[in-house]
Amino acid sequence: MRAWAPIAVAAAALFALQLLLGRFEFFVYLASLVGVNVILAVSLNIINGMTGQFSIGHAGFMAVGAYTASVFSLATNDTRIAGLGVVSDQIFFVAALALGGAAAALCGFLVGLPSLRLRGDYLAIVTLGFGEIIRVIVQNTPSLGGPLGLSGVPQYSTFAMVWFVVFITVLVARRLASSTHGRALWAIREDEVAAEAMGVDTTAYKVRAFVVSAFFAGVAGGLFTHFQSVITPAQFDFTRSIDIVVFIVAGGLGSTTGAVSAAVVLTLLPEALRSLFGAIGADSSLSAVVDQIRKPLYGVLLIIIMLARPQGIFGTNEAWDLFKKKKAAA
Amino acid sequence: MSVGEVILEAKATSITFGGLKALTSFNLQVKRGDLKGLIGPNGAGKTTAFNVLTGVYLPTSGDVEVCGERVNGRRPWEINRRGLARTFQNIRLFKSLTALDNVRIAVIANTKPLFARDRIARLRSGSSMNRVAAKVLDASNNYVDWWRALLKTPGFLREEAELTARADALLEVMGLSHRRDEQAKNLPYGEQRRLEIARALGTQPKVLLLDEPAAGMNTREKADLMVLIRELREKFSLGILVIEHDMKLVMGICEHITVLDHGETIAAGDPAAVRADPKVIEAYLGEAPAHA
Ligand SMILES: Nc1ncnc2c1ncn2[C@@H]1O[C@H](COP(=O)(O)OP(=O)(O)O)[C@@H](O)[C@H]1O
Ligand SMILES: [Mg+2]
Repeated sequence: MRAWAPIAVAAAALFALQLLLGRFEFFVYLASLVGVNVILAVSLNIINGMTGQFSIGHAGFMAVGAYTASVFSLATNDTRIAGLGVVSDQIFFVAALALGGAAAALCGFLVGLPSLRLRGDYLAIVTLGFGEIIRVIVQNTPSLGGPLGLSGVPQYSTFAMVWFVVFITVLVARRLASSTHGRALWAIREDEVAAEAMGVDTTAYKVRAFVVSAFFAGVAGGLFTHFQSVITPAQFDFTRSIDIVVFIVAGGLGSTTGAVSAAVVLTLLPEALRSLFGAIGADSSLSAVVDQIRKPLYGVLLIIIMLARPQGIFGTNEAWDLFKKKKAAA
Repeated sequence: MSVGEVILEAKATSITFGGLKALTSFNLQVKRGDLKGLIGPNGAGKTTAFNVLTGVYLPTSGDVEVCGERVNGRRPWEINRRGLARTFQNIRLFKSLTALDNVRIAVIANTKPLFARDRIARLRSGSSMNRVAAKVLDASNNYVDWWRALLKTPGFLREEAELTARADALLEVMGLSHRRDEQAKNLPYGEQRRLEIARALGTQPKVLLLDEPAAGMNTREKADLMVLIRELREKFSLGILVIEHDMKLVMGICEHITVLDHGETIAAGDPAAVRADPKVIEAYLGEAPAHA
């Protein structure tokens, strides 16, 4: 019962916020963008931070989820469950998200398998290859719109739904990190040989980390497409994967708190710059500059963090542990 | 379960690295309740023997059997679950985890899964169809474990409490309760070695392999450790195989000693006989009195 209480509370709170803020379109758009990036960062952190593997193909899983969900929603666009009104749309939306997540999880399983044999750089190259292969396949599949992508995906997404998924992702990461079975992931990160010697089936755990992580990346993709309405393969390229890696490295590999914070700040920063430039000179060329300076800016930021605090802003610390310690001291 | 049951057996096990014969025709039997020693000068192949026994290396020839079953080619975690646990010469703790968590991770090995492990093990050694079934059941077990953790089911919470209690008990046995919530890397050297033993015990082994457990300890600590090792054997009715560089120390507690030199077994038997063996004296004299 206690396990479900936080979920119920979060759902109610988000629903209330939705009623309050739902009409501010730009806010909802920004919040959704941030939310999707938080889900991506927190889920990638399960592989890269907790398990200590190095995946740089997270955008690939997101793409699989986004395209799967889009195709489903486009196909069922005209179908309604009689008598349910907008609720019918939301039911189809949840189904699309679940399908997107499942398809990505399947890919996660397949990509996770080579991690049985490969370590470090080699695994990184496999995940990178996976991400690029997905993008190239989509680009060359006419039924998926080729390089132009898919458009007209129904805009089912809401502020509440995005942040409910954010909440669930964080909850899953947190409960995994602090349960004994999930803790085996930390053991793999710390010392794989010792973990094996202590009866931890390291390959099974690694594959599972990939499956869970890819599932949430797929759901993030599904959410993304349902508020963007248009998706193109270029949105899921290598730089997107790197952005997510930057989030978790800056936040602190292994820290869910760090992943969330960095994803929020680093998503809002370019948006803030863009609106700033928009306010100065109303022409759009300055906004385009933001995208160009964003990448070198991230690079510089990462170098500074690596020099000043190699373990990332939060290290492996969590906000909720701080709270726990305070309580224990009191 | 009785004392005297053969748990670990090496039968003419050999391994070569390139041209180097690191271990040649190694024979050894460890029963429950045994306390045996494995000694030899530096580079003799002692650690290599442990690595072969625990599945880190695949023997080039010969067999390793655990509880009568041939385990060549099995992964280290599978061998561990059959009842063999070890420590490492160059301490390999989960450094940034707490002492408690180090032990708790090891304790997972004996939780009760949805599908019984011995049943899966039986399937695994069967036909190819059965092996597939074993894989599926194993995977189901794993995913169910995580689902229970995510949903915080009552069964999960009870199991967490049990695991924690068991880990705490082991810390207590090894005299580490006061370090429970400290990161392993912050423990003094001697305590790190003891934590490694606690962790190995967490997997509920039938035979425990200790690789130079006293290395880096002072004389007093060494003596205490030897007493402790004896106690562990009684308390957990373990078979124990100790690698120790220091002859005197091993002679003091072991009932049987195997001496390696350049991968070859140059002597094996009770301590008095081994000590008197001219080959052993020569091997050790050749190495100079570095370790008194
Ligand atoms: N993985 C390996 N590859 C090549 N040579 C190895 C390997 N492991 C051990 N050796 C060699 O095997 C010999 C025995 O080493 P080891 O078992 O560590 O000795 P010790 O008796 O001191 O524990 C040494 O010569 C060592 O260099
Ligand atoms: Mg050695």
